[in-house]
Amino acid sequence: MAMAVGGSGGAKADINVTPLIDVLLVLLIIFMVITPLTPHGLNTLVPQPPPPNQPPPPPNQDPNVVIEVAKDTSMQINGQPIKEAELQSRLEDVFKTRATKVVFVKGDPDVDYRYVARAIDDAKGAGLDKVGLMTPKVEAGQ
Amino acid sequence: MKLPKAPPVVSDINVTPMVDVMLVLLIIFMVITPMLTKGAQVNLVKTRNPIKMQDADKEDAVLISVTRDGKIWLSPGNAMIGLDKLASRVKDLQTARTGDKTVYIRADARARYGSVEDVIDQLRTDGVDTLGLITEEVQDRNRRGLSL
Repeated sequence: MAMAVGGSGGAKADINVTPLIDVLLVLLIIFMVITPLTPHGLNTLVPQPPPPNQPPPPPNQDPNVVIEVAKDTSMQINGQPIKEAELQSRLEDVFKTRATKVVFVKGDPDVDYRYVARAIDDAKGAGLDKVGLMTPKVEAGQ
Repeated sequence: MKLPKAPPVVSDINVTPMVDVMLVLLIIFMVITPMLTKGAQVNLVKTRNPIKMQDADKEDAVLISVTRDGKIWLSPGNAMIGLDKLASRVKDLQTARTGDKTVYIRADARARYGSVEDVIDQLRTDGVDTLGLITEEVQDRNRRGLSL
């Protein structure tokens, strides 16, 4: 048995920090990616039942605007069919002359939630800050 | 003096410890990541005009998740709950809250709207009047139609 004594070049006493830096960089990237993103959302209102023993409110001057999403994902504004792409511009037109920026959204129970959410999204895009969700019980007046 | 030849110098970095560390990191993050999101795992709807809802991240924020198959999860607590028990449970949680009483709904993009409506009707019996529908923000106008 013989020992290797000496060698080409002196022995390096430094710690090799390259792998350490690699790991730290990856860690940094991971943390940057999974930093909890602030949640985003659409604010909506739920019409409340009128308090009991109160006369019904006087009828509005402007009829309410109701967006309906049918089972086949087609949309209607107050009964008039409209394409999804045109919904936002149409709403902008309708509400140009109105003082109250309120719209109601009604969806078929069997339609995917995303189509209703997109209708709400378009209403928000048209600058309507109050979006009311019409559910079956709201309509029944309960 | 004559010395025997030393074995050739290995000039590669020994990557084994690094790989060890990476694997452990990977496992740690795989375990932790699902815990970071509150509520059940859902595919959110992609929308263009959502507003920031910082309050939805608060400890006491009432957050209801509706999964694709119509199951309802309630946070805080993060547990599955039946529709019949939802109203009374939310009422308890709401009385403990101060200030903002908004209830947040995280519904799966492909959930039936009927199951979301059922949740809203239950919340209505508690007198909840403002809802925050949690969605995902997309910048690109056109992408929304193509993806989920």
